[in-house]
Amino acid sequence: MSSSRKPQLRSVRRTAFAATSAALAGVLLAACGGGGGGGSSSGAPSGPVHIKVWAWYPQFKQVVAQFNKTHKDVQVDWVQAGVGQDEYTKLKTALKAGQGAPDVVMLEFQELPTIQLTKGLLDMGKYGANEDKGNYVDWAWKQASDGDHVYAIPVDGGPMAMMYRADLFKKYDLKVPTTWAQYKEEAAKLHKADPSAYMTDFGSDETAAGWRQGLTWQAGSRPYTYSASKLPDIGVKLNDASAKKVYEYWGDLVKNKLVDTQSYATTDFYNGLSSGKYATYIAAGWGPGYLSSVAAKTAGKWRVAPLPQWTAGGNAQGDWGGSSFSVTSQTKHPKEATEVARELFGTSEAAWKIGIDQAYLFPLSNPILNGAYFKSKKYDFFGGQQINSVFVPAANGISAFDWSPFQDYAYNTDTSEVGKALQGQSAWSSVNDDVQQQVTSYASKQGFKVSQ
Amino acid sequence: MSLLRQQGSTATAPPRAVPAKGLRTPVAGRRPGGLSARTRHKGMGLLLVSPFLLLFLAFLVAPLCYAFWLSLRTSTLVGGDHFSWFANYKQTFTDPQFLSGVRRVVVFGVVQIPLMLGLALLGALIIDEVTSRLAKVFRMTLFMPYAVPAVIGALMWGFLYSPTFGPVNSISHSLGLGKVDLLSHDLMLTSLGNIVTWQWTGYNMIVLYAALQGLPREVYEAAKLDGAGQLQTALRIKIPMISSAMVLTLMFTLIGTLQFFTEPRVLEHSASSVITPDYTPNLYAYNLAFQYSEFNYSAAISFSLGAVVFIGSYIFLFVARKRSGLK
Repeated sequence: MSSSRKPQLRSVRRTAFAATSAALAGVLLAACGGGGGGGSSSGAPSGPVHIKVWAWYPQFKQVVAQFNKTHKDVQVDWVQAGVGQDEYTKLKTALKAGQGAPDVVMLEFQELPTIQLTKGLLDMGKYGANEDKGNYVDWAWKQASDGDHVYAIPVDGGPMAMMYRADLFKKYDLKVPTTWAQYKEEAAKLHKADPSAYMTDFGSDETAAGWRQGLTWQAGSRPYTYSASKLPDIGVKLNDASAKKVYEYWGDLVKNKLVDTQSYATTDFYNGLSSGKYATYIAAGWGPGYLSSVAAKTAGKWRVAPLPQWTAGGNAQGDWGGSSFSVTSQTKHPKEATEVARELFGTSEAAWKIGIDQAYLFPLSNPILNGAYFKSKKYDFFGGQQINSVFVPAANGISAFDWSPFQDYAYNTDTSEVGKALQGQSAWSSVNDDVQQQVTSYASKQGFKVSQ
Repeated sequence: MSLLRQQGSTATAPPRAVPAKGLRTPVAGRRPGGLSARTRHKGMGLLLVSPFLLLFLAFLVAPLCYAFWLSLRTSTLVGGDHFSWFANYKQTFTDPQFLSGVRRVVVFGVVQIPLMLGLALLGALIIDEVTSRLAKVFRMTLFMPYAVPAVIGALMWGFLYSPTFGPVNSISHSLGLGKVDLLSHDLMLTSLGNIVTWQWTGYNMIVLYAALQGLPREVYEAAKLDGAGQLQTALRIKIPMISSAMVLTLMFTLIGTLQFFTEPRVLEHSASSVITPDYTPNLYAYNLAFQYSEFNYSAAISFSLGAVVFIGSYIFLFVARKRSGLK
């Protein structure tokens, strides 16, 4: 359900976690929670305040070192608490238990309303976070805040684009598609020329739910109208014309066997990316890093082009993934924790260089995003292309989007229904209606006043 | 092996209250001002049992009570929390997602359990009969999968089932049979059944083999004198005599099947369009709690599942004991 940036890592974590039953997870949590608690012993006035941070990418270690070097009163203790959903599961359990949550936690944007609704997040607006508003791209700030209430500080985003194998395109004489109609034509051409090759993979797993959401976002679908300050009202419209258009389009590609249907984040999928089975990879701003690590041997063969459009010459964009730092409601040091969330990356060029060069983060911080270093950076994996000349305009072209406070349920339901269609048990045209029906019924049961 | 001891005790008379009697007789009379010997021994017993009792209360009884209490409440994301009596249970037994999960594990069990236990019995009878070095190797090899943690086993099979790398696929491909997707909707239960059978056959075989080893050898001689062949000895003597061990393995397998979780959870990763969040009742309960924040409903489902397992096993044991003529 989450669109983690490092699915290969995630796969290891997930399977390790699979072993632990629900009960065991609780015990483990208690064990980790007991040691750190809220950080330092708050009784001691001397010495720096220790802030415990949960974040998942390994390169984060250097970012923390950078922060600790430049701050005297606050020190960060980093914990790798699992990637994406694994971390959320632990966080939700700790919040439910009333103890064991970290001070600062890395959360993807789509999780924010869910955790906020269960009173798990601190309003950083009270501690000066509103000053950062101008530093971030507008759509990202809107996802992280609700008016003057600030529930997260955006870090990175996932503006979508199309990566493609330049060598294969040349070999099969394919044109780089600028519209989805063209994309389908080229897909047919490729598959005809080589039946073992596909234009791309239509992921059928939970990871891909975010991918599908990004594509419907681009198509103009706005499934939720939600604001934490207008509870219990929520608008749910998962089956509008734009969403249906996207699902039927991909359903058609699947039916005609023009795309593969392997789950993302499986060895088969990585293999497809590196063996030339897939000619394109439609992904997000973090995708280049992901691709260059799972398909390292294809270095130099890939290029990046803008996401195909529904109308020729259009400039509609969508986002897949992206994360932020939130302060949990369990923190004993709200002021210092807010400072950590704001300044771990913030507008610090030193921290961002680590993030960009080593963790392939896509910055949402305006000065970095639109700064010369990021924009003109050349990537060897993409044959020296300045790929951010594609991604940065995409990031700036994304329009606002609300997430629901039950995103996991919505993603899971979507995944199940898409799975049924993929397995030929239901029609592609009914997927959106089925999801809409289930999600609205869940939302009503959870006490929301749903308008469709 | 604690299992075997347990199995033994079901076959022989239950050792009820024997130690207490034994202890009581030698010490008699009262000490001035002290407690009676009986009371003191009782106190001592309690003291000795207390570490177990504490753990039992803290890690079994208390969580059970808490889960039950949770299952009687309903807390929604927006509506708040209230006591709802048995509404969650009512929902459980009318929930199509839960019921389809139950149906799935039942179908799974009906095919997989007899197959696996049959194989285990066959293996046990063979290694009991053949006393060569080869039998030892055979025994070890069959038992080996049990030593592999379930998660690792499922992961490994996930790779073997892979449509690109899996040997099954390349073999069927080279035979011209085309692509076999072992992770597809139609074959998933079979694929899962294969993993479980692979993992547990050896374990069950060892239990049955140990029971066979415990049988008195004279019976076989008598059978031989009466002209029984090996097959007849196996069918008429060995199998009936180890029926209690068979009941035991069946019981463990039934419980395991109803709680099916690890293998689908691991394979879910590579086939999530097939293994939905409600694939098995246990998986459903897990996802309800940790992804949909429906802790109360999840508790009700877990509790219902637990009750079904408990009552089911009890009835099964009761019936099986009568039928197989066990005490």
